[in-house]
Amino acid sequence: MEPDAQLVQDCLRGDGPSWEELVRRNARRVFNLCYRFTGNATDADDLSQEVFLRIYKTLPSYKASSGAFPTWLTSVTRNLLVDHYRRTRRDRLTDSIDDENAPQLEEKPSAGRSPDKIAEAGELSAQIQEGLAQLSPELREAVILRDLQGLEYAEIQAVLQVPEGTVKSRINRGRIELAKILGDMGLRPN
Amino acid sequence: MEWNCTLTEDRLSDYLDGTLSGEEAAAFEAHAATCAKCAKLVADVRGLVTQMQKLEPLAAPPMLVTRIVNATIGPQKQSAGWKNVLAWRPAVLQPRFALGLVTVAATILILMYTAGFTPTRWKHADLSPATVLRTANRQAHLTFAKSAKFVNDLRVVYEIQTRLQPETQPQSAPAVPQQNPSPANPQDRSQASPHPGHSQSRTGVMLASLM
Repeated sequence: MEPDAQLVQDCLRGDGPSWEELVRRNARRVFNLCYRFTGNATDADDLSQEVFLRIYKTLPSYKASSGAFPTWLTSVTRNLLVDHYRRTRRDRLTDSIDDENAPQLEEKPSAGRSPDKIAEAGELSAQIQEGLAQLSPELREAVILRDLQGLEYAEIQAVLQVPEGTVKSRINRGRIELAKILGDMGLRPN
Repeated sequence: MEWNCTLTEDRLSDYLDGTLSGEEAAAFEAHAATCAKCAKLVADVRGLVTQMQKLEPLAAPPMLVTRIVNATIGPQKQSAGWKNVLAWRPAVLQPRFALGLVTVAATILILMYTAGFTPTRWKHADLSPATVLRTANRQAHLTFAKSAKFVNDLRVVYEIQTRLQPETQPQSAPAVPQQNPSPANPQDRSQASPHPGHSQSRTGVMLASLM
């Protein structure tokens, strides 16, 4: 039995320290997924908390036989991120319609430099983050899950609930588009 | 096997993952070797994937775990306080914070020693406000008195030097070259100009007596 599955069983028996350990082990992974998707540390912090609140409530529904805990956790996180994206997209559209001077509707998160990005450890990491923000959500999540979270194709397929061919195609197109965006920004990672 | 730019784009990740068949991989490489555009695309995507896979995950905010635990099962009593303190450790240990802390500590130590507090000789009574005030007052007076004495001593030294200079300069400077323009040995030289050395040694004795 994988270590997380044992912790989950202890949590379901009402063991507080096991829940704390489970959160401690997975908080970084969830936070990184949220941050890479939203590009905003404050949103990522709030969303990570929301993810674990949902995990806490739905933990009894988790079945170890149907998949590894990290895959289930990633799946819950991804669903929340999609909800968040749709919510903020609707807000952005409403704001843009309200504002008569708005030059165009913003479909994607801003790629501008925020203090969060400046504070980020490496310049390359910040530039990749800027490039990711310009990808469509479908391509962005596929690239993040594969290249930044290190998931296998089968795990990504389970998280996204799409056929393997679609997963591969999205990852491939996402990588090519990201490389072109970074090339336009004057960055050529080697 | 026929290969073109569209196939290169479509199968690029398969090539990088090593899942192309031998024949396909050979056709892919043969095309990339002759097409500059595809060669650049392959190099760019390969570099990007390598860099992304090497990126270190960002650290989660220090209080995230505590906030989640508090929001779900409530505050945990056992060693939660220490965990909160230790959660800030990575941020505090950054060079910029560590350097700031060392500078502040050094400043406090210098101020303490100047004010007369030496940690090695501390007693419980030293911490009472009256003692602290008295010690600081005494130290301030002592420092002022030492400074005043030093300035006075300097004034005396300069006064003595000023008085000695009119006596030594007219005698030593023009007289020596006339009496002995080229002394043959060091003995003659020391006899020929006794006054400057003499005046310096007098000043030195006076300075020593003042210190």
